[in-house]
Amino acid sequence: MDLQKSKQLYPFYVKELVPEIELLEQDRKKIVKKMTIIGLVLAALVIPFFFIVDEIGTMIFPVIIAAVIFGWILHYSSRDYASDFKDSVLQKIVAYIDPSLVYTPTMSISEGQFMQSGIFRKGIDEFDGDDYVEGKIGATKIEFSEIHAQYETRDSKGRTSHHTIFKGLFFIGDFNKHFSGDTYVLPDQAERLLGGLGGMLQGVSKKYGELVKLEDPVFEKEFVVYSEDQIEARYILSPALMERITKFKQKSGSRISMSFKGSKVYVAIPFAKNLFEPKIFSTILDFKPVKEFFDDFALTIDIVEDLNLNTRIWTKK
Amino acid sequence: MGAIIVLLGIIAFIVLVIVVMYNGLVGKKNTTENAFAGIDTMLKKRYDLIPNLVATVQQYMQHEKSTLTQVTEMRARAMAGGMSNDEKVALDNQISKAIGGIMVAVENYPDLKASENFDQLQRTMTEIEEQISAARRAYNAAITAYNNGIEMFPTNILAGMMNYKRKEVFVIPEVQRENVDVKDLFSK
Repeated sequence: MDLQKSKQLYPFYVKELVPEIELLEQDRKKIVKKMTIIGLVLAALVIPFFFIVDEIGTMIFPVIIAAVIFGWILHYSSRDYASDFKDSVLQKIVAYIDPSLVYTPTMSISEGQFMQSGIFRKGIDEFDGDDYVEGKIGATKIEFSEIHAQYETRDSKGRTSHHTIFKGLFFIGDFNKHFSGDTYVLPDQAERLLGGLGGMLQGVSKKYGELVKLEDPVFEKEFVVYSEDQIEARYILSPALMERITKFKQKSGSRISMSFKGSKVYVAIPFAKNLFEPKIFSTILDFKPVKEFFDDFALTIDIVEDLNLNTRIWTKK
Repeated sequence: MGAIIVLLGIIAFIVLVIVVMYNGLVGKKNTTENAFAGIDTMLKKRYDLIPNLVATVQQYMQHEKSTLTQVTEMRARAMAGGMSNDEKVALDNQISKAIGGIMVAVENYPDLKASENFDQLQRTMTEIEEQISAARRAYNAAITAYNNGIEMFPTNILAGMMNYKRKEVFVIPEVQRENVDVKDLFSK
């Protein structure tokens, strides 16, 4: 995206977004008021317990129950507000970045597509996602959404706990070169921890195919590459693209993984925070969160430019 | 009795290590050969494209007839085979230079440049060039792994006994680094 868009964001915010946000701000204040009352009521119900019981273990129980009730009510009463916010404000931000993009807050990349990437091999027990964006940037078709994929474990007492496989933004783009095999670009854990020995160990695992040793030392330090085809992996990962991927990794500040499969490029960008969700307990009539939403969308949409996917000088048009 | 078992154990371990090292070296050597074959495959793809290129451009390029004939001849020589790897590389460099020249000369023929046929051809050419470069990089990676095996301890001892010699990585020849001098190319 051109720098102009980023610079013009503030005027756009003032002109286009503030009127929308002002309306939503009233809803938000109502929710805050309602939640304050509920919070006080719950506190009034819980506090007497502190005087009745004197064991800390039993004192915790009412607090937990109250917190769960509070969270549950908060979730349901802010649902409409969050969805209104997405439909108006986020919709406009996406359209501002590129008018051809379609934003569907409730949809997501499917579990099938996610598994198709081959980046994550663990069986998924719970798959959630929202904030789906789809469209065409220049010649390149893209789609992405927020994803949270988890697996379950059971301990000896039969209690289940959830573990995250991936949480963050998941991007699928049409790649600009033809290829037939699968190539994976994964964060380099072994080499960072173990140095040369780690490098040797990487070759042992054939889960993702053969290890591909590339000549860019900066790239090699950050990533480990596996492929079915040594030449094809290098055809995809040209020296220029390796540099671009390294830069993109720095820009995202995240341990990204990529795969090149079935003429597509998949990029997984992990995020700890829940993306594209409006705050309830602090004002949204503020440029900072808007800028943050814009940056998170732009980061993903700009993959097309950052990886130069619109360069169509090869047989794939 | 116990000492014999220990001794046998040590011998078995040493044999195992030697076998692993030996196989590793042979594997690396074969990978380099395989990688050169990879370059060869890509070069052949380019040779296959030359008749197509000549056919597309010759009706437009009246002044460059001799270059076109030259490229066709070089292709025939390359296809005939029976060349050493070094000869193959040298001939390929000449072909690259000539094709590069033709591609630049196309700038003088707007009709040709605009034709659908040529556009497709140019895309295929760019693709093959990049594939050749990828094959060369794969070859260099294989050679580096092989050379490391030969020079690093302890595999270097075994490599010495197997009479394995260092191989040279691919360097882009001077001619290809220079800008193509079209005038020079066509004034011949």
